[in-house]
Amino acid sequence: MTAAELSVGSLKGRRIKDNLVAYSFILPNFLGFAVFTLGPILFAVYLAFTQWNGSGPITFVGLKNFRDLASDSLFLIALKNTLVYCAAVVPLTVISSLFLAVMLNQKIFARNFFRTVNFFPYVASLVAVAVVWNMLFNPAKGPVNQLLSLLGVPDDRLPRWAADRNWALFTVILFSVWKNTGYYMIIYLAGLQGISQQLYEAATLDGAGRRQQFTYITLPQLRPTTFFVVVMLTIQSFKVYDQIYMITQAGPGTATLVLVYHIYNTAFVDWNLGYASAVAMVLFLLVLAVTLVQFRGEKKYANE
Amino acid sequence: MKKTFAVIAALFILTGAGFANGQKDAPSPKGTVTLKWALWDYAQTVYYKPLIEAFEAAHPDIKIEPLDLGSTDYQTMLSTQLTGGDSSIDVVTIKDIPGYATLVKAGQLLALNDYVKSAKVDLSQYNGAAEQMTVDGKLYELPFRSDFRVVFYNKDLFDKAGVPYPPNDMTWDQYDALARKMTSGSGAGKVYGAHYHVWRSIVQCEAILDGKHTVVVPPYDFMKPYYERVLKEQKDGVCMDYAELKTTSTHYSGVFYNNSVAMMEMGSWFISTLANQIAQGKTEVRNWGIVRLPHAQGVKPGTTVGTLTGIGISTASKHRAEAGEFVQFLTGERAAEILAKTGNYPGILNDTTAGILAGMKGFPQDANSRESLKTAKIYLEIAYSDKSPQIEAALNRAHDNIMTLNCTLDEGIAQMNKDVTGILSK
Repeated sequence: MTAAELSVGSLKGRRIKDNLVAYSFILPNFLGFAVFTLGPILFAVYLAFTQWNGSGPITFVGLKNFRDLASDSLFLIALKNTLVYCAAVVPLTVISSLFLAVMLNQKIFARNFFRTVNFFPYVASLVAVAVVWNMLFNPAKGPVNQLLSLLGVPDDRLPRWAADRNWALFTVILFSVWKNTGYYMIIYLAGLQGISQQLYEAATLDGAGRRQQFTYITLPQLRPTTFFVVVMLTIQSFKVYDQIYMITQAGPGTATLVLVYHIYNTAFVDWNLGYASAVAMVLFLLVLAVTLVQFRGEKKYANE
Repeated sequence: MKKTFAVIAALFILTGAGFANGQKDAPSPKGTVTLKWALWDYAQTVYYKPLIEAFEAAHPDIKIEPLDLGSTDYQTMLSTQLTGGDSSIDVVTIKDIPGYATLVKAGQLLALNDYVKSAKVDLSQYNGAAEQMTVDGKLYELPFRSDFRVVFYNKDLFDKAGVPYPPNDMTWDQYDALARKMTSGSGAGKVYGAHYHVWRSIVQCEAILDGKHTVVVPPYDFMKPYYERVLKEQKDGVCMDYAELKTTSTHYSGVFYNNSVAMMEMGSWFISTLANQIAQGKTEVRNWGIVRLPHAQGVKPGTTVGTLTGIGISTASKHRAEAGEFVQFLTGERAAEILAKTGNYPGILNDTTAGILAGMKGFPQDANSRESLKTAKIYLEIAYSDKSPQIEAALNRAHDNIMTLNCTLDEGIAQMNKDVTGILSK
């Protein structure tokens, strides 16, 4: 190459060309995203400030929808239920998947079989599994209550599971934890296998016991994995809908009414699309806030 | 070389995408118009096919294509498709009054007044149903089916217990006593004296039969005695537990088919289904009958709860004239006879159709059952109000809470009063 070709102009031209090639690769997927995801999201943000019944004219109403939120008792109940659900599902799933991953990371007999068995609920069809779950937890004839009865629980103290206002949310939480543990167990297994053996060897040389090794080596080394798991679980639990629909239909009464369920009812049963978009905006901001907090927390820890 | 290949591959993909149009609807043969008819449970319902065949035979230039949207979420699916601007749906079946209110509010149904006038349709043949469907002077649907509620009872169970069959003029107290008498056994072989399906209308509409109240106007304290009776029956094991029925999604037909229930309040549409299933040998129950719904003091026996299924034309339809002909057929005498022959109650209920219904194969042949077909007055399950969908949602929630014992009856009724007053004031 001559000195002229190596000049600054040619380098810039090269970079522009490289950028163009890169963008043209991203373009098809981004076009799909822009048209089918980004566009509707922006439209929903716009709708949140309007009143629309789906087929009539769209009327701009400013912040009215957001003002109505405060006095909508169903929205407040849905918000509370969603927060409770999230606060329960995230720690329970993290603990159970971490526990299973640690157990199944050791060289035990039929390790792969147990890994498969634990992962299976995640791949099973949610609809089919939920129906069977309802049968298992049937208050009168289900095996779970029959077992409890055998273990000595008196008949009138048996929990009525999905039929009881106080137990319904717990039943759905239990279902979600059981169903998703397998997936996060796999993620934790990958994280565990990324921890260098040398750390454990050094610790054993220093005389650290198994409990201490877990607390001072495994857990800190798993921090990035745990961060990922917690963020994914949080976002997933704020979006929960399928399990609620299959197991309790937001009942009994409003015991398991969650935000997405309320949005669906307001949008497609009441045909109040503007208000439903406003609730969706609140949900979005909530998830964004929680995720940002988690990112900040992670940054703080990572800089130690 | 590699670059040229990449460019050619990209061009291929882009042009290929242009051809991926999917399957377009097959074009109708020249001269014929194909009408799409939105309905539910096409395969399970006996009268759709005979109706379509009869119409097509009389109108060789019109073909009817059924569109089954399923029964469970029928209204939501229909509303979603029409809101999306679907112009392919011409004729719609409208399941109930709240569904009618939703469609009318969204402007998706054509006003039929001019058509009724020009086609000289006699609205009085519907026994007042057309008037109940009129909104602000405009009629957006014509009555297709008019079902009313009766009490189904299992003759075999009554024979086995040695108890005389229920009469056609029971009071609610007599009904309660009879149900308690018929409750026996425990575990898998238990017989429940009464059965209340989980719909709120089963319990709540018992209270509107004196004509003094409707379900869309609070306060709802008038429902208290009826809830008290049902809750007590539930507590004493006379009927099945609501919460269990709800979480197991138990259908009312199953418990009647397998002889676990002696009496059941249900709509007349169940008559043909029941007769059909027995004829096919799919049930354990063999002999059954119907009697009139129990009545309160001072209310004439034969007063019952009814629900209207209507037929309307979508405003987006491109074949309004042909759709109008189909609507006229479906709500006319000929269709009424076909419906009656298959054991269903058409909007036109006169002596001819009543006679056909009673003569249907499998219809119980005792005098009481035939007598119960003659109703004194039918009150709609839920009256027309443009807020009826929201009101129904609020009533459903309260019903759920009351029946699962998650709140006391007084709390539940107070909640209903508060919610519906709030909805009406908006």
